[in-house]
Amino acid sequence: MTRSPDGRPSPVVSLQFDRVDRRYEPGAPLTARYRVEGLGDEPIEAVEHSVLWYTEGKGEEDLGVHFFARVEGEAARPGDGTITFHTRLPASPLSYEGVIVKVRWCARVRIFFRAARDFVSEHVFEVGRLPPARLVTAEAP
Amino acid sequence: MRLPRVFGKKRGHRRTGSQIWGTVGDAAFHAALLLAGIVFGGLLVSGVAVPEWRINHDYLPARCTVVGKRIERRVADRLPGAWHAALLLRYETDGTVREAWAWPEPAAGAGDRDQAVRRLAAWPLGDEVPGWYDPAAPGTVVLQRGYNWWMWLLALLLPGALIAFGGAGLLRAARRWGKSEEHRAASAGLPELLDPLAQRPRASQGHPTVPCCDDLVNSPGTILRYRLPIESPENWTLLGFGLFALLWNAVLTVLAVQAGIDLLGGRRDWLLFALLLPFAIVGIAGIAVFIRGIILASAVGTTQVEIADHPLRPGGSYGLMLAQAGSGEFRELSLSLELEERATFRQGTDTRSERVVVWRQPIRVWQDVELSPGTRFEAHATVRVPPTAMHSFASEHNSVRWMLVVHGTPTRWPAFQRVFPLVVFPPAAEAAEVMR
Repeated sequence: MTRSPDGRPSPVVSLQFDRVDRRYEPGAPLTARYRVEGLGDEPIEAVEHSVLWYTEGKGEEDLGVHFFARVEGEAARPGDGTITFHTRLPASPLSYEGVIVKVRWCARVRIFFRAARDFVSEHVFEVGRLPPARLVTAEAP
Repeated sequence: MRLPRVFGKKRGHRRTGSQIWGTVGDAAFHAALLLAGIVFGGLLVSGVAVPEWRINHDYLPARCTVVGKRIERRVADRLPGAWHAALLLRYETDGTVREAWAWPEPAAGAGDRDQAVRRLAAWPLGDEVPGWYDPAAPGTVVLQRGYNWWMWLLALLLPGALIAFGGAGLLRAARRWGKSEEHRAASAGLPELLDPLAQRPRASQGHPTVPCCDDLVNSPGTILRYRLPIESPENWTLLGFGLFALLWNAVLTVLAVQAGIDLLGGRRDWLLFALLLPFAIVGIAGIAVFIRGIILASAVGTTQVEIADHPLRPGGSYGLMLAQAGSGEFRELSLSLELEERATFRQGTDTRSERVVVWRQPIRVWQDVELSPGTRFEAHATVRVPPTAMHSFASEHNSVRWMLVVHGTPTRWPAFQRVFPLVVFPPAAEAAEVMR
């Protein structure tokens, strides 16, 4: 069990996508399964898992949730310790590595403890196959 | 029990504030607004609306005899209309004769004492006037009924706005409380109603975050299928200059008229004259900049771009038609396809935007174009969207925009640039499979 600097247990979320390269086409189905370890005896209020995109870069962060589920109470600690979820990805946005705007897709697992704290684990994957943008001035017509 | 941390996670060079403390502050601010609205509304309703409503609905009519009169000066005695006429009335209620003071023109006071005394002559002693008394307090009598619509409007509008703004903010904070950002974003509800200041771009059907292109395909072209609308921020700048020049010179005119009246009356306000000179220079400069802008905008002539299809798809080729009206000679006229990233961020209390062109593809360049009045320059070209192009993207603070840009260099006028936005969709599913 790992512990945070304040001595409380720090969980470890192991999440596996159904595609090893974590690369999906727009509109493709996505399946992910995760296991939370190192919870210790600290009581859990809920676990949320979601599939979302967010922006990074110069601007304020924007976020769009494509799939969201919240599991409360004892159901948040499944018997075999593994939770699986499925979704079909939307047609857009595609993952994009721009200069001042970047779009990233991820699966997030957020654990809410009774002691008014939460723990977030983020697992990035890609939608589409776009090359990174560069500050190019011109290209031949 | 621990208090939440003031600062949350650190992303890049930025440290985000605590979500909990942010929500608490937001809720406290909006609760204060809501409370102010309720208190203000309560005061207006109990002090103005209810008494006025009772006068019109509950008060009973009585024949009143004027047995005394006087003029009164209200507390705000330096304001115009401070002198008011007051009448001592004698009237009978349920067999009891009563006397009470009433104000025949409660809303309209006289500017000075003499004027008020002259007005008082309109109510001779012994005259009979219609009045209404309060059955709950027969010692209270009024000589006028009706509604003060301004006061009602004020009573509804000001507290109403405070209650609506504060209430919506408080509800928004309550909706956020205890929820993760994913949960809030996923929650269906009334986010737009609760957060009317947030500018969420309209997305295309079936393509989240791809801006809607309805406004780009509602104008048919003369030769090709669609005529693209022009994005013209310089027109807004010109309008801004025009409004500034108008307002500034209106103020200047008022000051100049006052100075002229003073001068005719033999008074010289040197401070006013000293102020007028720089004001006049700024006013004339404002008019000059505005007129120059109008001349530049209209001298070059309109630019029109038509396209064979819209929205565009990566890998697709589309016919274009460029038309340039006006007269004179252009050293160069060019058309290019550009991809621009735009990010909006807060820096202190300012909201700033940054734009970067990350890709530019010249489509065609025309040299030494001669334009004659009555006819327009027309040329055709083809634009090809790269197969690995990012689609158009728009979220609240970030966007990726495609556009056709026309650069012109007239011989007699400054160079100009005109922008025609486009929408590029992501590749269709089968095309995406082929690209793999």
